[in-house]
Amino acid sequence: MAITYQVIRQAAHDLYGWSLKKVPDDTQKALAEAEKNETGEASRKTLQFMQAAARAAETQDRHACSDAGFPTYFVKIGTKLTLDGDIRRAFVDGFADLVETVEPPILKFITHPLTLERSYEGKDMPILSFDVIDGADYMEITCSPKALGSGRWADLKVFSYPKIAEIEAYFMDCVLKAGSQHCPPVIIGMGIGGSFDHAAKMAKLATLRKIGTKHSDPMIAAMEERLLAAVNKTGFGPMGTGGDTTALAVHVDYAHGHGFVPVAVCFNCWINRRTALRIDNDGKVTRLE
Amino acid sequence: MSRATQPDVLRLTLPLSTEEARTLHLGDMALLDGEVTVTAGFVTHERVIAALEKGEELPLDLHGQAVFHMGGSCRQENGKWLPNYVNPTTSTRFDAFMPTIIRRLRLTSVGGKGGMGAECVEAMRETGCVYFSMPGGAAPLLSAGAVERLETGWDDLIEQFRLARYRLESFGPVTVAIDAHGNSMYRNLQQQAAGRLPDILRELEAARSTPKPVRPGDDDAPLS
Repeated sequence: MAITYQVIRQAAHDLYGWSLKKVPDDTQKALAEAEKNETGEASRKTLQFMQAAARAAETQDRHACSDAGFPTYFVKIGTKLTLDGDIRRAFVDGFADLVETVEPPILKFITHPLTLERSYEGKDMPILSFDVIDGADYMEITCSPKALGSGRWADLKVFSYPKIAEIEAYFMDCVLKAGSQHCPPVIIGMGIGGSFDHAAKMAKLATLRKIGTKHSDPMIAAMEERLLAAVNKTGFGPMGTGGDTTALAVHVDYAHGHGFVPVAVCFNCWINRRTALRIDNDGKVTRLE
Repeated sequence: MSRATQPDVLRLTLPLSTEEARTLHLGDMALLDGEVTVTAGFVTHERVIAALEKGEELPLDLHGQAVFHMGGSCRQENGKWLPNYVNPTTSTRFDAFMPTIIRRLRLTSVGGKGGMGAECVEAMRETGCVYFSMPGGAAPLLSAGAVERLETGWDDLIEQFRLARYRLESFGPVTVAIDAHGNSMYRNLQQQAAGRLPDILRELEAARSTPKPVRPGDDDAPLS
């Protein structure tokens, strides 16, 4: 058996469609927790409104946000699976199928970076990122559509031999620069080290980690904990209503590099769009979230 | 202006008069009725400015009106354009254009998310205009208050970039986040955060230098 073009095309279609109409369970739970702890009244009301909107999107089969963003897929390929057909093409076609069939229709968000012309397709679209899982006979695909509201505030800086204090001060600079523009409460990802491009990828992947999980390295887990507390002392609050909840989570990852240390910071807005599925080598599809 | 069913929520009809706009305060929450012109287009803003400079008429009359930064999608049913969804976009994207647009068209309210810059705040103070903030990502609830799209202008542009006039009914709640007296919730929160930053950095330093308590056996505990 093999994983076919058609199965992946369908998966690309389904993942994107699901992500538009469901706020992930961990995120809804985190919003409810935040509401319990929030001391600002306007902020508490905003958190309640967000939860009601999340429920309505799911139960009424409606889009959580009018900005469907653009499609990004993270693909992990088991080294023991067999592929049959054009895989990159399957993602392009799966997204085109979604555009064609989704109800209600999505607007034209794919933007040429120089002419700003809008359409439903474009160069390198969808954005695909591939990795391998040693010894596995399955594939995992995560979809995380990226919109302008939170995408605009990501940042990257290259340090030489930085102290942890410098990295954390830079992180706080990014948080202050974004203010309440990125639809808080946000999930913040930070990638430290590796190369320029790898740091950015780590930051993005960190935002996809489930809320409530900790990094396996205690030093990094402690950094996540103290940075989350620090962000929530800034007082921007949900959608800039003031209050205690500017971030639902801070997730950090690191990689060894070579003296120069790129640090990337990025944000996911409160609806935290993220869906995932697994495809076994026999073509069986299991929705992970 | 009246009180809505919730005692702390105002009920306002758009477009506001300048006088009405000036009675509103930061943090006031409101449900909106009436008519608003909506666009999410950068090119639309450029085109408004170009038209104003040339003295050309705009396809919809925006003078003294409400202009919201929102994207929307509609379907046609029984001769009416009914919204599938509307949702705010980030207003600071249009900071370069809005001071001119607010002053020249004497807008009395602007809406969107994320607020607007200092020069916009000053223009709003001069003309008597408020900024309504609405939550992003809450399209199912917000859209319920957008009843009908009445007309559009510049139909050569894609749907979300057109100037589109909507009828609102109980739209919101929205929050007055910039008032007509030069006050901005966004500026206040930025100043508050900047003021708190030195203490936050000191607390981070203290947290870094305080080792976590280690119990016997913790070294061998599996990492989560």
